[in-house]
Amino acid sequence: MDDTGDPRERNLNENDIAKKKDMILDDIVKLVVQELDISPTEITPDMSIEDDLTFDSLQIYELVVDLEEAYDIRLPDDMLDSIVTVGDFVDLVYTLTTEELS
Amino acid sequence: MTHEEQELGLLLSRVFENVVMTEEKSLQKGYFSDLSIAEMHTLDAIGPYEARTMSETAQSLGVTTGTLTVSIDRLVRKGYVIRKRDEHDRRIVRISLTRDGKVACRMHSKFHAVLARHILEPYSKDEKDMLIHMVSEIDEFLTAQLLRYDDDDDNEMSIRETAHDVAAQQRRREQNG
Repeated sequence: MDDTGDPRERNLNENDIAKKKDMILDDIVKLVVQELDISPTEITPDMSIEDDLTFDSLQIYELVVDLEEAYDIRLPDDMLDSIVTVGDFVDLVYTLTTEELS
Repeated sequence: MTHEEQELGLLLSRVFENVVMTEEKSLQKGYFSDLSIAEMHTLDAIGPYEARTMSETAQSLGVTTGTLTVSIDRLVRKGYVIRKRDEHDRRIVRISLTRDGKVACRMHSKFHAVLARHILEPYSKDEKDMLIHMVSEIDEFLTAQLLRYDDDDDNEMSIRETAHDVAAQQRRREQNG
């Protein structure tokens, strides 16, 4: 979609993206809650996975393997190197699932 | 024997021993202390994604399917591997990793990547390329030496070639994402 498109259509598209990212965030929050025994409301996209959620390497790979399974995607290590926050994970999963569809 | 020959001979043995021992200790002290190095390499040969046949996994590891069967039996009991018959051809057995197997395999790959990262860290791009080039030449030379001891002329896969193949497959898997 380019900038000359119908703004209403563009907004709809942006809403779809936001909705899909929210769904991915919900899934990640569910997986984190299972692991950490905390309330889902305590988890926000800007939280650092290692520093705020205190995930160790085992917990990170469990999350990675669960996300790969749930979304039928592959999250290789070179992509994971740039992941810091919960939101980064959401964006990466969104990008990979969108690429698969296009 | 010159001083350089003596020093390189000693260093090669030490590098080999230290890599194996570091790997072993990291396994013993890590989350997967119930796995031996050989078992971890079996998980690595199966890989975290598609199911593989017994014969292709055995070939990757440079072992017979009989030897692999014993190892897979143990890994199934430990909960790291699933064994399934192919839906279309019941004669074929496919093996894949469980969630724990996938996590162990991913953590092991990370271990090797971190080790390599730390070794390469102090060097410039040119020095890194040079180091990799020189170690590759050492590897090629040793592979050729190993083949001289290979009595079975029909056996095209030497142990080292197999290890090289496994590493190449792993690189491809990572590149393909």
